[in-house]
Amino acid sequence: MRCLWSVLLALLYTFLLLPLIVVVLASVSGGQVLRFPPEGFSLKWYARFFSDETFISALLLSLRLALVSALVVSVLAVTSALFYRRLSARWRGPFRILVLLPMLLPEILTAIGLLFFLYHLGLGSSMFGLQVSHIVVTLPFSFLAVTAALQQVDLTLEEASSSLGAGALETFWRVVLPLLRPGLFTGALFTFIVSFDMFTMSFLLKPIGGNTLPLALFDYLKYDFDPTAAAAATVSVVFALVVVFVVERTVGLRRAF
Amino acid sequence: MRKTPLWSTWLLGAPVLVLLFVFLVLPYGEMVAMSFRTPATSAPYGNAWTFAHYLKALGDPFYLGVLGYTLAVGTLIAVLTLILSYPIALHLARVGDRWYLLFYACVVSPLLVGVLVRNFGWMIVLSFSGPLNQILLALGLIEQPLRLLFNLPVVVLGLVHVFVPFMVLPITNALRNIDPALEEASHSLGATRWETFCRVTLPLSLPGVLAGVTLVFALAISAFVTPALLGGQNVVLMPSIVIQQLIGAFAWPFGAALAMALSLAMLIEIGVLTLAMRPLLRRVARWS
Repeated sequence: MRCLWSVLLALLYTFLLLPLIVVVLASVSGGQVLRFPPEGFSLKWYARFFSDETFISALLLSLRLALVSALVVSVLAVTSALFYRRLSARWRGPFRILVLLPMLLPEILTAIGLLFFLYHLGLGSSMFGLQVSHIVVTLPFSFLAVTAALQQVDLTLEEASSSLGAGALETFWRVVLPLLRPGLFTGALFTFIVSFDMFTMSFLLKPIGGNTLPLALFDYLKYDFDPTAAAAATVSVVFALVVVFVVERTVGLRRAF
Repeated sequence: MRKTPLWSTWLLGAPVLVLLFVFLVLPYGEMVAMSFRTPATSAPYGNAWTFAHYLKALGDPFYLGVLGYTLAVGTLIAVLTLILSYPIALHLARVGDRWYLLFYACVVSPLLVGVLVRNFGWMIVLSFSGPLNQILLALGLIEQPLRLLFNLPVVVLGLVHVFVPFMVLPITNALRNIDPALEEASHSLGATRWETFCRVTLPLSLPGVLAGVTLVFALAISAFVTPALLGGQNVVLMPSIVIQQLIGAFAWPFGAALAMALSLAMLIEIGVLTLAMRPLLRRVARWS
C-alpha cells in the first residue's frame, strides 16, 4: 500500500515536471530535427537563436515591457498598499477586490475589453496600450505581496520615528520603505515573470511589428518545429529563474542585517 | 502621532484608482454596452441598441452547441484536475519542513514556465517521433507511430497539467488547518485509516476543494492558447470562436455578446455548484 502510494506520487510529480525537462534537453540536441531523447550535445540552436533578429528584438521588447511593468507596478503597489491601510474598514474590502480584479477576471475578457477601449481612444495597437495592459494585469501580484509585508510593519516604529521629529516623508523613506523591501522585491519578481510570459493580452493588443518573445515563439512554432524553438523557450525559462535567484539573494542579504 | 491630512490619503490612492477606472472599469463597461449595439460596416458598431446578438448567441444551434461543449470540457477538466491534485495536496500537507520547499517548487513549476514553453514541451513529448511513441514502439504495443497531437484529449492533458497548482494549493491549505486531534480521535475510536480519511479528512477538506474546482473551471473555459496550440483546428471551444469573431470577422458587438454569454454561463454553473455544496459545507463547519 505504502509502495503503491509512493509510485503514484512519483508519477504525479514527473507529470508536473515533464514538459520543462523535455524542452531543456531538446534545446541542447545535436540532431537536425526536434526529437527526444536528443542526439548528442550541441549549443548550435542557441547560436541560431541569438543570431535570429526576430527572436532578439522580441526578447528585448519582452525584457523592456517586463522591466517597465515591474518598476511602475512597484510604485503603484506601495502607494495603493498605504492607501489601503488608511481606508476605513468599510471601504477596505471593496478596494481590495477592485485591485485584485485583473487577476480574478479571465485574461481574455480583459484583453478584449481593452482592445475595444484602446481602439476607441485612438491608441489601438500602440506600444503604450500594450504596456498599460501589462501594468494593469500584473498589479494584483505586487499589491498582494506589498500589503502582506505592510501588515508585518510595526506601527510603533512609525510613531517612534515621528515622535523623534521625523516628517511623514522622512519616516516613509527611512522606516517604512526599508521594512517593505522584501515584499516589494517579491512583488516585482512576480510582476516580471507574469509580464514576461503574458500571451493572450499581448496577442490581442500588440502593435504592428511589436512581437514579444512568447508571440515570436508562437509564430515560429506554427511553421517550424526545430530545436531553435526549444532554445528560445529555455532562454525564457532561464530569465525567469535568474530573476528568482537575484531576488532571493538580494532579499536574503537584506534580511541578514 | 500627528494626524495624517486627508489630501495626502487621496494623493496615495489617486494613481491606482484612476488607472483601474480608466483601463479596467471603463473597458468592461464599454464591452457590456457594445454587446447591445447594432453592427456597422464603417465603425466598430452602430448607434442603435439591440438584443439580437444575444438571441443569435443563444438561439443558433452552432453557438449554443459550442457553449455547451465548452462548459462540458471545463467540467471534465476540473474533475480530472481534482483527481490528480488530491494525492499531491495530501502529500504536500504532510511533508516535513525540510522537503516542503522542494515539493512546493515542483507543484508551482507549471506556472513559472510560461504557457508557450509548457505546451511546446507537450508537443515534443507527443510528436510523431517523440518519446511516447518511441516507448510504445519499443514495448511492442504499437507497430506504427501514432498521431497523438491535435485532438481533445491532448488539450485536456495540457490544461489539467497547468491547473494542478491552482487545485493543490487551496486543498493543501484546508488540509493543514485540520486539527490533528480529530484524526487521532477517529483512530482511537477504532476507525481504519481509510474510514478516517473518508469520514474525517475528506469532508473537512471540502472548502479547499470547492475553491480549487471553482478556480480551475473558470480558468478552463476561458483558456485560449493551449486549445489553439495542442488542439489545432480540431478542437473548437468558445474562446477561439470569440477571438475569431473579433479579429477574423471584425464582428465586435456579436463577439462581445458571445464573451458575455460565456461569462454568464460560467457564473451560473459556479453558482449552482456552490449551492449544491452548501449543505455539505454547513455540516462540516459545525465540526471544526
